[in-house]
Amino acid sequence: MPGPLEGLRVIDFGQYVAGPFGPMLLADLGAEVIKIEPITGDNMRALVVGSFMGCQRGKLDIALNLKEPDGLRIALELVATADMVHHNMTLGTADRLGIGYEACRAVKPDILYCNNYMYGAEGPLARFGGIDPHGQSSAGLEWEQGPVAEGNPPIWIRYGHGDVAAAMSSVTALLIALHHRDRTGEGQQLWASIFHSTMLYTADSWLDADGAPSPRPTLDKEQLGLGALYRLYETQDGWLQLAAVRDRDWPELCRVLRIDHLVDDPRFATDAARADHRAELTALLEQAFMADLAVNWRRRLRAADVPCEVSVDMIDGEHVLFDDELVRLGLVAEYVHPILGRTRQFGNLITFDDTPGVQQRPTPRVGEDTRELLERLGYDAAGIQDLHDRHVVTWPGDDYAFQV
Amino acid sequence: MSQALDDIRILDLTSGIAGPLGVLMLAEHGADVIKVEPPGGHRGRSQPGSVVHDRSRRSVTLDLRTPEGVGLFEELCTTADVVVEAFAPGTMTGFGLGHEELLQRHPHLVYCSIPAWPEGSRFARDVGYEALVLARSGQNWEQTSFRNGPVFLHSPAASHGAMLLVPVAIMAAITARRRTGKGQHVEVSLLQGVMSLTTQVWNWTDQGSFLMERTHPPGVHQGSIFECANGEWVHASTMSGVTQTKTEGEVLGFEHRDQRTWLEMSPDDWEAWNEQRKAAYLRWDRDELIEAFHAAGLGSEAIVAPHERFEHPQLIETGGVAEVVDPDLGPTTQFGVPLFLEATPGRIKGPRPRAGADTADVLGELGHDADEIAELRQMGAI
Repeated sequence: MPGPLEGLRVIDFGQYVAGPFGPMLLADLGAEVIKIEPITGDNMRALVVGSFMGCQRGKLDIALNLKEPDGLRIALELVATADMVHHNMTLGTADRLGIGYEACRAVKPDILYCNNYMYGAEGPLARFGGIDPHGQSSAGLEWEQGPVAEGNPPIWIRYGHGDVAAAMSSVTALLIALHHRDRTGEGQQLWASIFHSTMLYTADSWLDADGAPSPRPTLDKEQLGLGALYRLYETQDGWLQLAAVRDRDWPELCRVLRIDHLVDDPRFATDAARADHRAELTALLEQAFMADLAVNWRRRLRAADVPCEVSVDMIDGEHVLFDDELVRLGLVAEYVHPILGRTRQFGNLITFDDTPGVQQRPTPRVGEDTRELLERLGYDAAGIQDLHDRHVVTWPGDDYAFQV
Repeated sequence: MSQALDDIRILDLTSGIAGPLGVLMLAEHGADVIKVEPPGGHRGRSQPGSVVHDRSRRSVTLDLRTPEGVGLFEELCTTADVVVEAFAPGTMTGFGLGHEELLQRHPHLVYCSIPAWPEGSRFARDVGYEALVLARSGQNWEQTSFRNGPVFLHSPAASHGAMLLVPVAIMAAITARRRTGKGQHVEVSLLQGVMSLTTQVWNWTDQGSFLMERTHPPGVHQGSIFECANGEWVHASTMSGVTQTKTEGEVLGFEHRDQRTWLEMSPDDWEAWNEQRKAAYLRWDRDELIEAFHAAGLGSEAIVAPHERFEHPQLIETGGVAEVVDPDLGPTTQFGVPLFLEATPGRIKGPRPRAGADTADVLGELGHDADEIAELRQMGAI
C-alpha cells in the first residue's frame, strides 16, 4: 500500500544534516524525493559517513554542476515537475546559483519552497551559516546538561538535536503549506532554522511579569537525575533507572530496598520534603542500591509495581537495531548499500495503520540515478553522454572515490 | 488574515510534552484545537511548561467516565478532523473510544496516539516514563560528558523527538485523507521519538558504523566550548559563519592552528597548544568576544540558561519573544512561533485557557442550549 505522501515530488538541494533530513522523512512517507547533488559530492559524504547515512536513504540522486548553464537548466526542468523544493543554503546562495524562490516559481508557479537556515531569513545574524552547537548553546540545552549552575562545564548533546529539530520543522511547515496549496492553489516560500527549532526544546521556559524565570527541574552535579526518585543508581553490577514518581511508589520502594524505617521520616514523607532533602535521600538510596544486582532490583521493584529499568549500553545501537520485535514493527530498516553492504538503521519514525511508510531505496551514491532522471526529462543517450563528458553531470563509474 | 489550517479541527486529549507542544505548531497555523480535559483540568497543568504548550487553543471539560461525557465527545468527533491522545495503553478503550471503534464510527478522523512504547510490542503495557524509555533504549550510554559512565539527559529527548514527529504524523495523514477520503490511526511512540534523534549515530553496516565518536576525551563540538572571564561560557564553533576575515587565533590573540593540522601534532603538543588557547579565552569578556568573532565572520554563541534566550537579538527581531497575558499569571514572556510561512504566517492565538473556559461555547455550537448545559454541569459530566 502506498505511503501517505504518495504522488508528491520533492527536489532536495540540501547538504550536511538539516538540509537532507527533512526530504528523507518525506521519502519515508511515500514522496518521490530527488536529491540534486554537486558532481563533487555532498560535503557530508567525506566528513561523517554515519551522519550521511542517517539522512539520505530513499532518495533518487542526480549529480549536476549548477554553475554550468546546462546543469542549471536541468535542475529547473526537474523543479518544474515538483511540488516542493527544500535546502539549507545560507541566505542568498540559492539566488546566486539561479535556484532561488523566484527562479523556481517562474517554472512552477505553485511551488512550495522551503529554506532551512541557521538563524533565519531575517534578523541581525541572518547572513550567518552555522551548525548544531549554535542552536544547543543559545536555546539553553548545553547550560542545563552541564549543569553549569552546579559548577560543571556545559555539555553538548551528541545527537545533533538542533539539526534534527530544524529538519522536522521544515517538514511540518511544508505539509501545512501543502494543505493551503491544495485548498487554494497558492504556493509559497517558507523557512525554518536550527536556531528557532532548537528553542522548541526549551519552549517550556517562560518569564513572569517581573521577569522571573519559570521553575524548571534541575540535573544534579553528578548528571544522574532530576530528583532522588527519578535518577540513575549504581548497583553491584550495573545501573538502574528509578522512576518512583507516584505517591504510592515511595512506601513500596522503601519496603523493597529494606529501608522501611524511612517511609514516615518527615524529611522524605512528601514530594516537597524529598525535594528539600534531595542530597540526603540520594545518599541513602545510593547505599541501599549497592546491596544487590541491577537485575534483581528490577525484578523485585517491578513485582511491587515501582517503575524502574536497567540502563544498558546498546553498543552503538546494535542491540536495538537487531531487536527482532522492533524489526517486525517496522521501527528498524534493513537494506543493502552498494558499497557498505548490509545496513541497519532506524525504520518508520511514524506508524500509519493504512498507509505505512516505506524505505524506498538505499542511500544513493553520487549521481546514482542521473541517467534515469535525464531519460525521464527526454534526453537521449548521446545527449546524456555529452553532458557527462563536459562534466555537467556525473554518475558512479569504476573510479568512484567516495566511501559511501 | 486566513491561516493555512483554518478548516481543521483537532481534539487534544493529551498532557505531557509531545502532544500539547506538537499540536501547538498546528494550532498557531490556524487549526481550531480544542483541549478536551477532565473537570478540574488535565494533570499536566501542574507542570510549568503547560502554560506555553497548552496555549492557542480552547478548553472543554468532559468527564469521559460518564456516558454523557462520552456522548458529547462523540458529537465533537463528528465536527473534528483529528483526535490526539497520549494516555496509558487501554485508557481510551476503557472509555469506549479506542481507535478501532472510534474510526469505525467516524472514518474521516485522523486518530493520533502517542504511547511510550509501540502498540503490539512486548513492552506495550509497561509504564512509560521518559527516563525509562531512555534507559531501555541505551541513551544514557550515548552521551557526551566530562566523565565516563551513564549520563541522565536533562532534556527529555524521547518526548522531544515525538513532539517534532506528531505534527508531521497528523499532517501526513490529513494529506493522505485528501487522496483517499479516509482518516486512519497513526502512532508516534516515545521510542520512535528517541530513534529519530539517534539517526545520526546509529547506522550499522557490514563495514562498520562510521559515527561521530562518544566524546571522552572531547570531540570537535564539545572541544569548542570554552570558559570566558566571569564564569561565562562560549560555544566557539568558528568553522562556520559567513565570509571570514580573521582566524580564531587572530581574534583571540594567540597562535592559530588550523583544525586540519591537529592530527599531525603529537597529543602532548596539541594539549600544550590547547592550554594556551583556553587561557586566551579566559581573558575575554564573553559578549565582547562574540562581537569580535561575528565581526570577523566567525560563528559562535553564548552558552546561556533557557530563560536568558529571551534577550537574544536574533530571537527578538524574528518575533520569537512574545508577551502572552495568561488568565492566571498575568503578562508572561514566551517563545513565539518557530515556523515561517510567508503567505500564511503563524501567530499565537491566545494564552492557555482555564480548564473548561470554552465548554459552554463549544457545546452551544453543537446545538445544546443553556438548560441542557446547566443540567450536564450539575451531573458532573462537564
